[in-house]
Amino acid sequence: MQVLQAKFKEVFFSVLPITLIVILLHLTISPVPGAVLWRFLIGEMFVVIGLTLFLIGVDLAIHPLGDLTGTFLAKTNKLWTVLLRGIIVGFFICAAEPDLIVLANQIEQVTQKMMASTTLLMSVSLGLAVMLAIGFLRIFYNFPLYKLLLGIYGLIFLLSIPTNPAFLAMAFDASGSTTGVLAVPFILALSVGISKLKKDSKASEKDSFGLVAIASSGAILAVLLLHLLSPKNELATPVFELASDNQAIWSHFAHLLFHSIKEGTISVLPLFLIFVVLQLISFRLKKREVYRMFIGFGYVHIGLIIFLLGVSGGLMDIGGLIGHQLASFDSKTWILAVGLILGVATILSEPAVYVLTDQIEEVTSGYIQRKAILASLAVGVGLAVFLSVLRVLVPQIQLWHYLLPGYLLALGLMFFTPKMFIGMAFDAGGVATGPMTATFILAFIQGAADKIESANLIIDGFGMIALVALMPIIMLELLGVLFKLKNKREGI
Amino acid sequence: MQEIYFIVNYGLGSKLLKKAKKLGMRGGTILRAHGTIENSLLHLFALDDQRKEIVMMAGPSTLCREVMQKLAQVFHFEKPNHGIAFSLPLFKVCGVSCYPDQEYPKESEQSAMYQSILTIVNRGKAEDVITAANHAGAKGGTIVHGRGAGIHETSKLFAMDIEPEKEVVLILAKADQAKDIIQAIRTELEIDKPGNGIILVQEVLETYGIYE
Repeated sequence: MQVLQAKFKEVFFSVLPITLIVILLHLTISPVPGAVLWRFLIGEMFVVIGLTLFLIGVDLAIHPLGDLTGTFLAKTNKLWTVLLRGIIVGFFICAAEPDLIVLANQIEQVTQKMMASTTLLMSVSLGLAVMLAIGFLRIFYNFPLYKLLLGIYGLIFLLSIPTNPAFLAMAFDASGSTTGVLAVPFILALSVGISKLKKDSKASEKDSFGLVAIASSGAILAVLLLHLLSPKNELATPVFELASDNQAIWSHFAHLLFHSIKEGTISVLPLFLIFVVLQLISFRLKKREVYRMFIGFGYVHIGLIIFLLGVSGGLMDIGGLIGHQLASFDSKTWILAVGLILGVATILSEPAVYVLTDQIEEVTSGYIQRKAILASLAVGVGLAVFLSVLRVLVPQIQLWHYLLPGYLLALGLMFFTPKMFIGMAFDAGGVATGPMTATFILAFIQGAADKIESANLIIDGFGMIALVALMPIIMLELLGVLFKLKNKREGI
Repeated sequence: MQEIYFIVNYGLGSKLLKKAKKLGMRGGTILRAHGTIENSLLHLFALDDQRKEIVMMAGPSTLCREVMQKLAQVFHFEKPNHGIAFSLPLFKVCGVSCYPDQEYPKESEQSAMYQSILTIVNRGKAEDVITAANHAGAKGGTIVHGRGAGIHETSKLFAMDIEPEKEVVLILAKADQAKDIIQAIRTELEIDKPGNGIILVQEVLETYGIYE
């Protein structure tokens, strides 16, 4: 019972801020229709319940599965087997990511079917799978993470020079989308599973992180390469629909239920299949452990469905509405300020964030506390949303004006921050872009972009996720620098 | 000299250590652990896992006794599920210059009420240890994850040295039951065959928070 209580309390208090902020906005500057507010409150309730169950399930099933799979991959001691197994596992978990499917469909739409969604899906999955395998090899051969990241991002910069800015945004967004709500815990557990075998515990701490970052960079590379092979520069504008307030509250949720069940099932299924197959050919867990895994998968599945239902049913509409309303004010200070605050509060209820902070506490035996990580993440995402709103307001700002200096800073800071923080920081980038950002914040930005004449819905809408993936990297690296300075002062 | 162990719920370790330092302890080490509770309904829903923290401290016997007693009060060890504390005799403490050497253990002349049974097994076997121990009369145990290798166990994967993962199970048992429990673990996990683990048994001086 203690598990349930503790998790529930944790989740409740992290969803509370965003709820209070929205209610406060409703009472002051941005009143929303009653039905939308009720849907939001019910949605938040679903989020709390869903997230609690989901996180319990992750502890019971996804973590052990990642651990075991990591050992399974490593065990053979043959280079080609590891590569092949890594690619198969990576491809499998990525191709079924609901966020990515949504993004692929969107891209197909705006490129007027020049870039088919299946082509995109396949190439992104392949890109991720290959990079995942490379990430494994990095751990095995003790190749320094910062060198690999420098190489990868150097390549990305080269490829992005001839790329249309809209595609650049899509490419970076694709990387955020691939590292979804289930892939992140799994990949994190995989890398911890492999690296904690290491005899050198310092190296083992360092190597526990970074795999998510490497894997998600595969998605960027894949989209950029795809674009290079089939250049297509004209984009269509999709239609943005603002929330209607005449729909009844419960029928609205009932309407979305089927969709959430489908999405939740599609996300859980690949991991479940991986478990069943590997259990038969390699793990051979005992009955009791298999039972726990099954129960765990049950929690994950049900929790995810409830969570997705809450997010899509309650949060998306209100995000769009608030963005739309605030953007119509003459003074733009409000929308900038609210964007910052929403960013800070939203990240607290992002599922993968828990998993990462947990993992960090676990690996460092509590030395780096969850609060420190959460605070830097929240500030990072807040800034990212702030900058995104600014970009919507000021048409002169291009996405690469942020991304180029941002990534240069992120790469440069690698030389000053402790090595362990590099992996954590780049992983945090992938972790921050989960379902909460992809729905609530995205809708907020799109709502604002819809109101501002000069803004382009596609270009401005797409780049936001890229920024949310970038800022936490910088903030966590800065946290690392702080830790280093503090340790020096204390003379230990 | 004594070594004291506190096993408390997750998140309380730092607080306890802080209080202990105020009471005069020089420092301590916190380990993350998890324990299980006996409840078939929770077991059915796989919710029987509990996160714990173990706090280890060492110091002169009189101080240790005082600290243990006070902390047991502050953290309400007298209530079930609020944590336990116990102390073990210590031969010597190095690295803390202010504690003078003491003769080994005057205090354990009378035979101990409890024994601490430390079983180190390969990863994944900890639950088996606890199940076996519970059948023989133990009341649960605490699991710590670790890593290590016997002389014949280290291996190499690609460029990295591998140390297999281990699980350490800490069980407190009444002295008259300890023999049965140890025997149960030995037969159940085939400890006597090489590579299957080891069992370490120590006498416990004092305990708080354990109920029959």
